[in-house]
Amino acid sequence: MVAAETLAVSHAHRVATFLERHGVLVAFAALFLWNAVVADTAEIFRNPENLRNIINQNATTGIVAIGMTLVIVAGGIDLSVGSIMALAGAVALLTVNYLLTAGEDGVVAWSEAFAVMAGVGTGLATGLACGLMNGFLVTVGRLPAFIATLGGLSAYRSITLALADGGEIRSASASVLSAMGRGSVTLVPASVLGPEARPITVTWNILLFIAIAIIGHILLTRSRFGRHVIAVGGNETAARYSAIAVNRVRLATFVIVGLCSAIAGLMATARMNSVSSSQLGSFMELDAIAAVVIGGTSMAGGRGRVWGTVLGVMILAIINNMLVFAEVSPYWHGSVKGVIIILAVLIQRGRRA
Amino acid sequence: MLEVRGIEKSFPATKALDGVSLRFGKGEVHGLVGENGAGKSTLMKILAGIYLPDAGTILVDDKPRVFRSVSEAGACGIAMIHQELNLVGALSVAENIFLGREPRRPLWSGRLVDRRLMERNAASLLVNVGAGIDPTRLVESLSVAEQQLVEIAKALASNARFLIMDEPTAVLSERETRSLFSLIRRLAANGVAIVYISHLLPEVLAICKRISILRDGRLVETVSPQDVSERKLAELMVGRELTHVFPEKRPAPDAAPALEVQGIAAAPNVLDVSFSVRPGEIIGLAGLVGSGRTEAAEAIIGLRRRVRGTVRVFNTLVDFRSPRDALAARVAYVSEDRKGRGVHLDMNCIENTTLAHLSAYGAVFPSRSRERRAARGWIERLAIRCPDLLAPIRTLSGGNQQKLAVAKWLDGKPSIIILDEPTRGIDLGAKREMYRLIVDLAEAGLACVVISSELPELIGLCHRIVVLRQGRVAGELAGADELTEQRIMYLSAGVDRSPRFPPPTPTPPTSPPPSSNESQQRKSA
Repeated sequence: MVAAETLAVSHAHRVATFLERHGVLVAFAALFLWNAVVADTAEIFRNPENLRNIINQNATTGIVAIGMTLVIVAGGIDLSVGSIMALAGAVALLTVNYLLTAGEDGVVAWSEAFAVMAGVGTGLATGLACGLMNGFLVTVGRLPAFIATLGGLSAYRSITLALADGGEIRSASASVLSAMGRGSVTLVPASVLGPEARPITVTWNILLFIAIAIIGHILLTRSRFGRHVIAVGGNETAARYSAIAVNRVRLATFVIVGLCSAIAGLMATARMNSVSSSQLGSFMELDAIAAVVIGGTSMAGGRGRVWGTVLGVMILAIINNMLVFAEVSPYWHGSVKGVIIILAVLIQRGRRA
Repeated sequence: MLEVRGIEKSFPATKALDGVSLRFGKGEVHGLVGENGAGKSTLMKILAGIYLPDAGTILVDDKPRVFRSVSEAGACGIAMIHQELNLVGALSVAENIFLGREPRRPLWSGRLVDRRLMERNAASLLVNVGAGIDPTRLVESLSVAEQQLVEIAKALASNARFLIMDEPTAVLSERETRSLFSLIRRLAANGVAIVYISHLLPEVLAICKRISILRDGRLVETVSPQDVSERKLAELMVGRELTHVFPEKRPAPDAAPALEVQGIAAAPNVLDVSFSVRPGEIIGLAGLVGSGRTEAAEAIIGLRRRVRGTVRVFNTLVDFRSPRDALAARVAYVSEDRKGRGVHLDMNCIENTTLAHLSAYGAVFPSRSRERRAARGWIERLAIRCPDLLAPIRTLSGGNQQKLAVAKWLDGKPSIIILDEPTRGIDLGAKREMYRLIVDLAEAGLACVVISSELPELIGLCHRIVVLRQGRVAGELAGADELTEQRIMYLSAGVDRSPRFPPPTPTPPTSPPPSSNESQQRKSA
């Protein structure tokens, strides 16, 4: 801060300040334009189907990252998101399968739709329970969030593995669940677009992602809760002295990220119509935190934005898409991602000495 | 000799220094005073290599120098003791003193630290500054006063010839201040030039050989302490004549007490505190550092567990578990630690004003327009200078931040307000406004409790003063004849209050007891 004051207000300074605040936006716009206009593969890239695929594939990461944004702004972190995804998916499928098991009389008592709804319910409840657990460990148990959720990362995954016996849980739902995972809505019917056009459709996953992003953004910027989240993350002691129920606020952020993870886990489960106990959601915490950081949210808490996180997710997604088009070996993708994360932080952290 | 000529420095919003020229001579204690924003800190940061000046030159022994970093300034013998100390708590005293300059062992081409030599040198430096501290102790286990001595020893270890001290006594007790002063005199006698920045004018007058007054980024005058009175100095700082610092005291109305505290005790140092305050009354809590004033307030407000005693608010027994509970019962506490607890530096004026009472602006979504109106109202009422409602308040002056901290609680419409050191570290103009505000609040019917270490402030403001000593009420004073600094000091220091005893005279500067010297040397040998 001291150094920032000393810098004369120069052109370069203004550019730097702009990049600090809106770097994600610039990076996203540049990436998008380059891919959609300049690149050799521009035509494939800007094909609506490709764009839809990119968003669809990253909707789960996006939803988890939005929850993660709130936790990080409140001064915490949640490493257990990927494990919560897997556990929520597993519990949901076990519920579905249990309800769709034929009784002794050989008759299935419940309709498939009901079983799937019940599965969604238990999956969400699992996310809620995991979030509460993390939250209580951090607030009442006074554990650092990193430690508490590191425990969760390990424990929730292990419960999932135990439930699935280390393998895969397959869904007994023949059509309803996968219809949810792959279903889409027609936004603009083909008839409007012309004789040979295909209709513009979005998947339920994308709609859910957009809805949660909007809710998250409003929650953080407009609500009383969001203000308290920022106050707690900015200075926890001052927040307590300012008559804010600090523990309740922190607990709520963990519950929210738990629910977001459960939603993401259910989405992934529905898409595959199965749960791989070791694969589902693994390394999700890293992708989510990367997106949050690229989006300009401070890891120290007190400062952050949901729209930045959404752009962070999309930046990572587009870069991934580019690498696939360029036929770069997947083994190298992680390095590129690493460089992007570090560059993003370097640009946005300003010149705080 | 250190000299600055025509130093100028601008920040985006203000011109902090506008052509300041000063000389700091060898062995001289040079006071630097001025209101907040007068440019003292900026000038010192330029000397210490933290800021680069826009114009002007710095001369060390008549050679022009440019300090691009703290280490470049350090190389010319300039060291700064900041208000917030810069030590590493988890390292030992010796390690801190020689941080970055550790003596090396010849082995392994000097990659190993010679711990024994380091500790021996540290011990002798500590003896030099009159501190009998074991150099192997961890810094975090030291008192603030001891840490300050370590900082000074650290500066001396780097052969500092110019020592800049920014409000060094702010965190010290009376006795610690006296021993610091004798150390300063000894350092000056050894040829160290000391630049002494302080708000406390009696101290400046007592310790400095020359005093320079800054106002609005310009040097007003350099004076000798024997030529000016405290009042004259204050007037030079403010630039106008000072009259009526304290508003007129009106008698408090007769009413049932708003807050009654009976025999409360709380860890670590509140043993038995009782007092009461009526609506419209201002009472003071006086006492030395460690007497339990702040802790008592925190025990009332629910920030500390109370183990004994009762608190009544308008004759109802209460047991607050948090400031939230307290505010619900219309009791507010403004912390002494403005930056750490009072305000959120990264939030803006509006958010800071409404933070404690946000539910009043909407159960789920606070109305931005109503928040803005409320903030504007407080800004106007408390004369808060906040040029940009949406900018983080980090850049505001201490006085304005303090007013926002108070506004935050007033926004919750309390009927009892406890103000802990409400004027600490803010300038004279802002202090006067704060006094006016407190009196206005009392006249509007609030019961006010003011905790302060500045006795004239308590005497000027309060109807009654409760003096605490070591966690207990040492006495209560009321009325013009009882409200004197002497009476308060007698009570807080535990001296017999009968007039046979003369007021305590400052003890002459003493060198550290020889026994501790010897033990130090034995340990380090």
